[in-house]
Amino acid sequence: MTPPPDLTRRQFLTAASLLAGTAALAGCAPASASGSTAQTLQFWHLLSGGDGVTMSQLLDAANAAQDAYRIRPTVLAWGTPYYTKLAMAGAGGRAPDIAIMHATRVAGWAPGGLLDDWDLDRLAELGVDESTFPAPIWQKGIVGGRRFSVALDAHPFVLMFNTDICDAAGVLDSDGRLKPASTPEQFLDQLREVGAVAGGHALSYGYLGDGAQMWRLFYGLYAQHGMAIDLPVGGEMGIDRDAAVETLMFMQSLLDGEIAAAQNDYGTAIAEFATGESGMLMTGVWELRTMQNAGLPFDATMIPTIYGTPAVYADSHSFVLPHQADADAHRRDLTYRFVADMLQGSFGWAEAGHIPAYLPVTESSEYAGLLPQAHYAEAAEHVVYDPEAWFTGSGSNFQGEFGAAVQGVLLSGDDPGAAIDRFTDRVNTLLAQPNPADPEGRWQ
Amino acid sequence: MTAIADTHAVVTGRSGGAALRTTGPARHEQLVSWAFLAPFLIAFVLFLVWPIVHGVYLSFTDQSLTGQGGGFVGFANYAEALGDPVMWQSLWNTVWFTVLSTVPLVVLALLMAALVDRGLPGQWLWRLSFFMPYLLASTVISQIWVWIFNPQIGAANSILEAVGLEPIAWLQNPDTNMLSIVIATVWWTVGFNFLLYLAAMQNIPSQQYEAASLDGAGGWRQFWSITLPQLGPATVLILILQILASLKLFDQAYQMLGGVASDTTRSIVQYIYEAGFVSYRFGFSAAISYVFFALIVIVGVAQAVVTRRKKEL
Repeated sequence: MTPPPDLTRRQFLTAASLLAGTAALAGCAPASASGSTAQTLQFWHLLSGGDGVTMSQLLDAANAAQDAYRIRPTVLAWGTPYYTKLAMAGAGGRAPDIAIMHATRVAGWAPGGLLDDWDLDRLAELGVDESTFPAPIWQKGIVGGRRFSVALDAHPFVLMFNTDICDAAGVLDSDGRLKPASTPEQFLDQLREVGAVAGGHALSYGYLGDGAQMWRLFYGLYAQHGMAIDLPVGGEMGIDRDAAVETLMFMQSLLDGEIAAAQNDYGTAIAEFATGESGMLMTGVWELRTMQNAGLPFDATMIPTIYGTPAVYADSHSFVLPHQADADAHRRDLTYRFVADMLQGSFGWAEAGHIPAYLPVTESSEYAGLLPQAHYAEAAEHVVYDPEAWFTGSGSNFQGEFGAAVQGVLLSGDDPGAAIDRFTDRVNTLLAQPNPADPEGRWQ
Repeated sequence: MTAIADTHAVVTGRSGGAALRTTGPARHEQLVSWAFLAPFLIAFVLFLVWPIVHGVYLSFTDQSLTGQGGGFVGFANYAEALGDPVMWQSLWNTVWFTVLSTVPLVVLALLMAALVDRGLPGQWLWRLSFFMPYLLASTVISQIWVWIFNPQIGAANSILEAVGLEPIAWLQNPDTNMLSIVIATVWWTVGFNFLLYLAAMQNIPSQQYEAASLDGAGGWRQFWSITLPQLGPATVLILILQILASLKLFDQAYQMLGGVASDTTRSIVQYIYEAGFVSYRFGFSAAISYVFFALIVIVGVAQAVVTRRKKEL
């Protein structure tokens, strides 16, 4: 670039530097500096891929609908990186105004003062209270008698099925829904009928190297026995060994190489079903968009209740208030408004597959017409979360420990009882350790 | 610098006292030296000395990443670490990986360097292809090998099936997952040792080979009697560097296994990471890292003893 003739080179460079500096500063300025009076609220979340795109659209809609606040999202990598950064921000008291956490992680954080609790009266003024949530989802946000999270959704582990293949196999009823199976044997028979028609396997289930996947299916089926796993602090894990072993044996029987591939990882299983090679898929609702984009004829339902008690493993993306040492009352109030706006506008979130936690959305006629989402909406009433302890939840290493203990059972036919004993030993070791968010045991 | 200092001494000498004649320039030189050293020293103290000292302090507390705790707990963290079977298993996995990986990483590098040094055609191509994987990030090589080891669509199982063998869940089977990580690591890092060996080989005077061939020594005889003995110092260096590098096993194993806490592959560095950044137990994490530090010191002392004995012999 040649300097204009009326400037010396030095003058030109000085002017250019000033201009560049001004432009850079303008780029850093909050939105309010550009003339708007809106407060900018910092929002951290861990949603990427299709969920990230959907969240971005919801935030755009929330920003456009009012002038009081503008949301500035920060997206961080799922899992440990996200939770480490959020914990450190909360510990330093300079956290974002609002953040997403998995509901199952909240119990481990609340005792350490990393989260601020919600004012129920203010939430109620905005139309958010106990009556607007399914009971188990509302209950999950309470720790030590105080509310620390407000759920946006439930994202359960469900059964997707290829309607063409299942129809040809004769396992659909007259409404095109999967015929119910109420015992393990009935479900296995149903799968064998599907397998006789499917080009590949009857069922796709990816688990290799993925403790979360193994845990999701296991704990949902285990809970169908009408039991939970108890994790008393300083005590020993309460688990019904017989029910756990029976559940693992059933999972073994699925992975016989005929019903489902014995060695499938998550991605391969998704690809198998998405390409029409298999009749059914066990996965999270977050894969709904993947199947829609694949142009697959499919529907979805809860995993059949084969052990008596309806139960489905799930977690919830929940709003939390990371601890701020010097929270501004006005900004905090706007944060409440933002959360209420997001809950009330969560139909868009449902389109991505998640079950909105806010009942006025799931009970609307609009949602009833949203298929296949409406076909598994009842799962919200039967969700089973991770057993509560400081070391459990999505993105924790509890599920990884489970995977390490039982993978051999699914992969190589190892003894399920020995695997449950290994898992129990490891969990008992973790139970003996202090909660790092409350190492001195001051909570409650 | 000397010339300037001398001139300065002469000038100050003319203007006055004998003490200034000697100390002034020396002090100036010292100041300049410290000014040049300061950036490094500041970084060294801030990012190495202070973390080491602070880490020792943390290991005696129940400090949490969440900001809680911090009280002095004496040797409780060390006692817990030493009684923790997962810590010992992780330590063993690390040592086992070091044993499994060091041997091929040294032997293969030597063979590759010998092939290139003895005049294979297209040397530049061999050098490039042997060294190139080393330039890749661990995330990239992890992804490549996850595909290769995929039980359904991976190249490794395609080869097995082509020769009539059963497919293997390479990364998930406890009998093969460590071996899989070793294979990927060897492919990834052997290029560095290859380069060190190649440089050492090219320093061997060619007259020795000429003399040997005049005496009727063939290629193998020359390799055993000239090349290998002269590579002694390089081999010691490569062994030390390799053992230290292998002991640091973490990223490729963690990524290839998707972060799953496998009993047969969890390295001690992964356990330190899990304790500190997943379970938020900084104090305990620091204690494990100093147990690991002790292992490295033992390796270092053993290496020093062995090297000294060799010299004495």
